[in-house]
Amino acid sequence: MSILTDDAQTNLALKGTLLEGIRSALNRALRGKADVVEKVIACLLARGHLLLEDLPGLGKTTLAKAIAFAVGGNFSRVQCTPDLLPGDITGFSVFNQKTREFEFQSGPVFSDVLLADEINRTTPRTQSALLEAMAERQVTVDNIRHILTPMFFVIATQNPVEHHGTYPLPEAQLDRFAMKLAVGYPEKSDELGLLAAAIGYVDDPFIQKSVLLKGQLAGLQEQVSKVLVQPNVQEYLVDLGRATRVHPKVTLGLSPRGLLIWQRVAQAWAFLKDRPFVTPDDIQDIAIPVLSVRLGLAPDEASNIINQLLETVPVPV
Amino acid sequence: MVPEISSLVRRCTFALIALGSVGVDVAATDGRAVGQSICFAAIWIGVAAVVAQFVPIPTDPRSKPPLWLFLLLIGLASAPFGLEPLRRNWTGDGYPLEIQMVCSLRNVGLGLSVCAGWLLCLRLACVTSLFLILFSASMTNHPVVIVVLGLYTATGSIWLMISYWSGLRSVFVAPEKAVTVELDDTGERASWLGLSFLVFFLGLALALVLVGPRRASYALGEWMPTSGGTGATDMFARYGVGDGPEETAGDNAKAAGMVETDKMIEDNKNSLIDAVNDLYGPPHKPNKDLERMVAAGKVDVIQFHGKLPDNKRPSRDFDTGRKGPKGNPKPKSQGARGVFEVQGRTPLHIRLVAYDIYEPVEKRWLEARKPTSKLIEAQGGDWMKLGFLKPNDWYLADERHRLKVAELKSNLVPTPSLLTQFRINKVDKSDYYEWDYEGVLVLAGRKSTPPGVIVTTDCRTVDPMRLPKSAFGTVGGTNGSFPNLGDVPSIIRPEILKLAREWAGDHPRGWLQIDAIQRKLLNEYTLDLNATAPPENPAPVLWFLNESRRGPDYLFASAFALMLRALDYPTRICMGYYASPDAYDPETAHTPVKVTDLHFWPEVLLLDGHWMVLEPTPSYSALGPTLPLFERILHAFVFLIAWLYSHVIKVTLLSCILFAGWIKRRDLFDLLAFLIWTWFPGKTWREQVRGAMAVLERRGRLSGKARKCRQTMFSWLRESLLKSSGPDADIHQIILMAQWAAYAQEAPPPWSQSEVLNVCHRVLGSWTLKRWREAPPDFLLGDKS
Repeated sequence: MSILTDDAQTNLALKGTLLEGIRSALNRALRGKADVVEKVIACLLARGHLLLEDLPGLGKTTLAKAIAFAVGGNFSRVQCTPDLLPGDITGFSVFNQKTREFEFQSGPVFSDVLLADEINRTTPRTQSALLEAMAERQVTVDNIRHILTPMFFVIATQNPVEHHGTYPLPEAQLDRFAMKLAVGYPEKSDELGLLAAAIGYVDDPFIQKSVLLKGQLAGLQEQVSKVLVQPNVQEYLVDLGRATRVHPKVTLGLSPRGLLIWQRVAQAWAFLKDRPFVTPDDIQDIAIPVLSVRLGLAPDEASNIINQLLETVPVPV
Repeated sequence: MVPEISSLVRRCTFALIALGSVGVDVAATDGRAVGQSICFAAIWIGVAAVVAQFVPIPTDPRSKPPLWLFLLLIGLASAPFGLEPLRRNWTGDGYPLEIQMVCSLRNVGLGLSVCAGWLLCLRLACVTSLFLILFSASMTNHPVVIVVLGLYTATGSIWLMISYWSGLRSVFVAPEKAVTVELDDTGERASWLGLSFLVFFLGLALALVLVGPRRASYALGEWMPTSGGTGATDMFARYGVGDGPEETAGDNAKAAGMVETDKMIEDNKNSLIDAVNDLYGPPHKPNKDLERMVAAGKVDVIQFHGKLPDNKRPSRDFDTGRKGPKGNPKPKSQGARGVFEVQGRTPLHIRLVAYDIYEPVEKRWLEARKPTSKLIEAQGGDWMKLGFLKPNDWYLADERHRLKVAELKSNLVPTPSLLTQFRINKVDKSDYYEWDYEGVLVLAGRKSTPPGVIVTTDCRTVDPMRLPKSAFGTVGGTNGSFPNLGDVPSIIRPEILKLAREWAGDHPRGWLQIDAIQRKLLNEYTLDLNATAPPENPAPVLWFLNESRRGPDYLFASAFALMLRALDYPTRICMGYYASPDAYDPETAHTPVKVTDLHFWPEVLLLDGHWMVLEPTPSYSALGPTLPLFERILHAFVFLIAWLYSHVIKVTLLSCILFAGWIKRRDLFDLLAFLIWTWFPGKTWREQVRGAMAVLERRGRLSGKARKCRQTMFSWLRESLLKSSGPDADIHQIILMAQWAAYAQEAPPPWSQSEVLNVCHRVLGSWTLKRWREAPPDFLLGDKS
């Protein structure tokens, strides 16, 4: 017996096609990392921003570009360096000799997908230029507010903080990311496939192919926001959040904004599993990427402590 | 991390409740033997301990206790009140309301301690145990309760220590393992709290409507433990802590209990002390002129020559013009409920008259001869030590009784047989007493014994099995003082002798022979007060023995005495009072003896000159010796073995069933849960799925493969059943259903009810407890870390 109406089935089929297209595009760009790709899509559908942290050369930038192309939006890239200024991201006003007026020259932040490469190599002042944009999808320059596109999506990459010449992102900045992912080294078979595919190709044309039409991402995001979260599941979420705040090894607990983001990502995760409601399993599945970006944790203990929290807070059944 | 309740704390709490229960059982029913009370308490505690094995321990101790627990506690609390009417109806005995309330609290305490996995239950159990132990300590100072109180204090100290260290454990735990949770200060109000109030107020309203506000308010007071009640509504109320109406002060000496005060032996004549003790001189008549001095105290007046302080001055201002008290200012007294009361072990035979000659023509017993010397040969002091009872192997240690005269019409001093010493208060003159018959003591020169006189007696008991053949005299060998003790009328002698020999069988002379005849009467003859012999019958005893085989107690006594006489045992029969154990009043710890307790019994003369009570009448018995503990245990053991032997088939069958039930208890428990789900699966598909999942989860737990704290039901099943069984459409389906039932409640039902039931049935049928057990132990791989 079908559990959906005809319209719902049509929507479901369309949704499946779109999601499969995005998955395919991203998996082509980042081989052998289906789980990372799935979480990236969840982050995108949850209207969250993504922080990719890993060693150089693991495909972070490639993945970011693939996302930008797949969702069919404008793509901008900022290579963060110590001498980068806030205005280089947000834009600035220049004096037009002809019109005798100041004109606003928009920066790379005015795009659908912004790739902030090696974000922790620029100074905190410049990093903070993204705060307003990420949280409110707007920038204010010379007291004038400029609205960004509704699907504004930041993908930031960073090298591990132990590396030389890095500036740790401030907590306020970190809290604006939905999740932090580590790409990791691919498997041997994937690396062999990568090498084989590279012979004879300068660039993969499929990576630059758009999957979604204009407005389709917003449609999917709207569907995600309607995924049901029962009160018992929300209570479980809150219990977990409160548990983070009293853990002796967590220097910074989960903020209410973090809770909201966690719920949104859980909705997206349930959406990706074709389920119209969130279960505690969804919350647990995306706990590590969501919490590791915003909790005050020692990097090498993050997974252990988050797992401890999950082990001890009873799930609603 | 949710704070864990240490199993030690739970066990300690259970120990506290167990001690409280023992204390309550000992203190609440002071009339019952202590051993019996402890046994009863042990039974309840044992039941609770067994039930505790089946009660789940919640993963979160701070979680709200489930509804079934509330219902269980309600049931436990109301059980004593529900059973009490039945008990009163069937046995005629009952507990006061306050004891019912305490029993109810004890039940609740045991129930709470069984569910001590929930923090709320643990705390309430501790409070309840404290209340129970305080109740028992205030009710009685029995040594057992003192011991229990000491044990409770020690256990309570341990409880505090363990709780303290359990609380600190999260502080001292290894940092990498330390996870704490912020306490919710607001707390979660139990939804059943409102239900409790509702039940309480409904009950109150019902009581007000049914019995009215006055009686309801009285009864409310009687429910309060240690109140004793007022007696206004409950006939079993105890009127206070540990005492009863018999101890209530009053003018009527008959009403009081065993209180040895001069006042209690006063009547319209001079008191006993005034009459016999010349040390006290004539009866005291206070001089009115000396009232002030006496009231102030003689010493004060002599030593203090100045003005007395206010609190010592008798001449305080007193308004003589005031109105008199309304109603009767004197405390109410109750009339006597018997001729006398006995405190001490019963049954007890109190001789009144002795008979030794049976007149065949008149068909009656003639009064025995009076003793030649009526004087008491006492050995001084207020204890009248008789001294003539020489210690033998068959006489056991003295038993003390106190007998309080209430309404004796004669001058009898009620004493049991085999008396060694007695006293009445401070009366130290032996000539105040005299022997009326052999072994029947009376007050010399008085027509009646005054009400309120308390006779304290020490008497021996005899163990008949230890009596040698030589202990029994023969009629011919008896000294000449009682020549008629072996007389059997010649008309009936042959028949009596024939029966006696027949009944005695091959038993040699002595107690075994006597006992054989006694048993015959006890076992084959019926006590019937109305079965009297026809007036024209020349020999009522033979009529009783041969024809009716039923009759009143005097026929039993006569037949037995005559048969023993025929066998050359010197016997007599006595009429007197029989203090029956059945009449024992647990509230006052006394046995009232009424006029209707008159009884006949035969006695056999021992060679040392003492009369030994025999009891051939069914439903009567003679006071036996108090056996040592070891012998009592041995007797109980022998009785148990005999009982088991006589019920060997039933016992074996029951044991096998119980053993098999114990071995298969998990399967039975699972079967019961499955049947309950089958019969009452729930109204909606969600309830049906949840019920089925609960059965599955219980099977997992019973087979040692419980769900982990972080696992949802379906992730647990997905990663266990599917991993074990491979692809299974039904499992997939029920997992999906469980997800929807738990987390998509607002969504429309996606399955038909019949489809849900079918899937659940198939899963429950295929994933039996046996299959769970056979699954590999590591097939539960729910750890996502």
